[in-house]
Amino acid sequence: MFENPEIPLDDLPDMEDIDWLPIEPRYIKRMLVERVLVVLGLFLAATIPYFITPQGFDSTVPLPVLVVPFAIPFLAWPFWSVPRRGYVVRDKDIVFKSGVLWRSVTAIPFNRIQHVETSHTPLDRRFDVAALQLFTAGGTGGDLNICGLATNVAERLRVYVLDKVGVSIENA
Amino acid sequence: MKTPEPETWRRTSPFAVLFFFGKVIKLITQNAWQSLAPLAAFAVAYKGDLVETATIAGIGAFVLIAAAAVLRYWFFRYQFNEDAILIRQGVIKKSQLDIKFDRIQGINTQQNIVFRYFGLVTVTFDTAGSSGEEGSLPAVSQEFANELREKLNRPPGRASTADDEGIPESTPMLQLGWREMVRIGLADRRVYVVLAALGPLYERIGENFYDLVGRHIEDIAMRGGVAGGILTIIALVILVMLLLTALSIGTAFLRYHKFQLYLDDRTLRSTGGLLTRHEVSMDLSKIQTLRLTQGVIFRCFRRFEMSARQARASHQNARGKNFVIPHVDADQASGLRRRFLGNEGRGLIQIPSSDKFRRISPWVTRTPLFINVLGPLLFSTVVYLLGRSPAVFLVCLWIPIAVTAIILSWRHAGYHYTDEGLVRRSGMIGYRTVALLYRKVQRVTVKQSPLQRRKGLATLRVYMASGSVRIPYIRHTTAKQLRDYMLYKVESSTRAWH
Repeated sequence: MFENPEIPLDDLPDMEDIDWLPIEPRYIKRMLVERVLVVLGLFLAATIPYFITPQGFDSTVPLPVLVVPFAIPFLAWPFWSVPRRGYVVRDKDIVFKSGVLWRSVTAIPFNRIQHVETSHTPLDRRFDVAALQLFTAGGTGGDLNICGLATNVAERLRVYVLDKVGVSIENA
Repeated sequence: MKTPEPETWRRTSPFAVLFFFGKVIKLITQNAWQSLAPLAAFAVAYKGDLVETATIAGIGAFVLIAAAAVLRYWFFRYQFNEDAILIRQGVIKKSQLDIKFDRIQGINTQQNIVFRYFGLVTVTFDTAGSSGEEGSLPAVSQEFANELREKLNRPPGRASTADDEGIPESTPMLQLGWREMVRIGLADRRVYVVLAALGPLYERIGENFYDLVGRHIEDIAMRGGVAGGILTIIALVILVMLLLTALSIGTAFLRYHKFQLYLDDRTLRSTGGLLTRHEVSMDLSKIQTLRLTQGVIFRCFRRFEMSARQARASHQNARGKNFVIPHVDADQASGLRRRFLGNEGRGLIQIPSSDKFRRISPWVTRTPLFINVLGPLLFSTVVYLLGRSPAVFLVCLWIPIAVTAIILSWRHAGYHYTDEGLVRRSGMIGYRTVALLYRKVQRVTVKQSPLQRRKGLATLRVYMASGSVRIPYIRHTTAKQLRDYMLYKVESSTRAWH
């Protein structure tokens, strides 16, 4: 017999109560190394005019100094942003939160996932971290990209999510 | 032509050469037009008889394109088996396209004048998740296309999911006549978009404009005075507007002449077109969002354009396929929505004037107002203080325009929801409403800016397979409840979303 019981909104699981799993703390160091390289590149680029101008480059403020106001928040950002990221794998979906100023919480049900990928750059491998990418229909890239997971955790999650996706397809 | 036996490679009618001829020309214009630039330079620098050379070159190009079209036709084969259509094509680079029936979202046909005379059509398949390459069967018989459609519309094991209020195939749900064509033409803004796109050419046109028209206006002004000159300019502007409107109406006739909408069991089908007859179809279960659009002109006529959007391919710049019903009134829109979304769509109101819509928070206007009011003020003050003319304050004329637009956009924005779906309303001068069913949602995000956190607000973004629907500045608790409820509906649904 067809049943269609009413579901009170208050009975639905609330995401405020869930225990978020943090991103690996070493991901901060990995981001820092990447950002230090970017800042060094900018410093080098800022010194180029002094070398290529024969009579000396003349500016009221030395160009490398201009990089400093940009570099300080850029280097400090991982210390704010990484601790604010978190994820949780529930029975039916995976939820990810991120953002320092603009905070977002994204949820993807397993029965909507098209495929799953793990990826790691050389720097990721050096710090033993990986990114888990989840794709849904109609998206134009990784619809959910959880960076900074321990490599073995990312791999286990990939297998777990694929398993869940398979079960949801069988039940459909 | 009968449906071919399985496992037999077939050729289409020799008239398919016409299709391939058009395709080769399209390919050249899309990919090789840059290579034609040196030809133009050659034509300018050429000292000989340009007309004769151009004629020979034109004939040569025609022969080459025709030869390419014939070769493409010759190497084009297709096979039709139990669960897929296989297409083999290519002259030098051979390729085989396997189109599984369960991936086909719809079958569209086109029939130009020549094909119509011989009872042939070109069939195009809409496939889910294709990366741009889609299959076409050119110059097959109308009966074959009908049989194919019939076969694909009733795949084995497909359960009916909405109301089964079937309409006999021969009875159209909607027909559009010449009055509707005129309204569609008047409401179509594409002509003005084309005009805007021609902007960079205005300067070039302007150089010749004086020679062509300016002298005549001057002559009239000399004879009839300033009033005569002004009247001539007004007449010219009106003439251009009338021409553009006529062009727009003509385009509407070309695309939608004798437009008819059918619902064959679970398949939506439309036919229409003056020279080339288009037949478009879409399975009702493929609809991801239902859109109702009302621009300024349609607002005057109290009419709407309705479109059903299906899943888009997963690649950059991909757009969902649209099934467009170009002209409906409010009653027709409500009736069609009930049929398209079935029982689940009951209670979802898409007519923008409905009082069911809830307003979003007025805080949504704060950031755009801040940028559009303080921005021009600061800019003009700083530039004036740097010693420029006070005329720089003319930039501030932008402020009342921007403020009006921002407030209108806020007043037109709204949303309403039921147990099964949600409708978002937006627009500045006109309106657009988008309806979706929770069970087809792919993912959902709740986002908060620092201001939204202080005011207890949030932006809800619902991602569908056809694109996303954003509801900004609603109460944070409402956004969270809607998100949790959508997840519950998606996770507890056993029905296919596509």
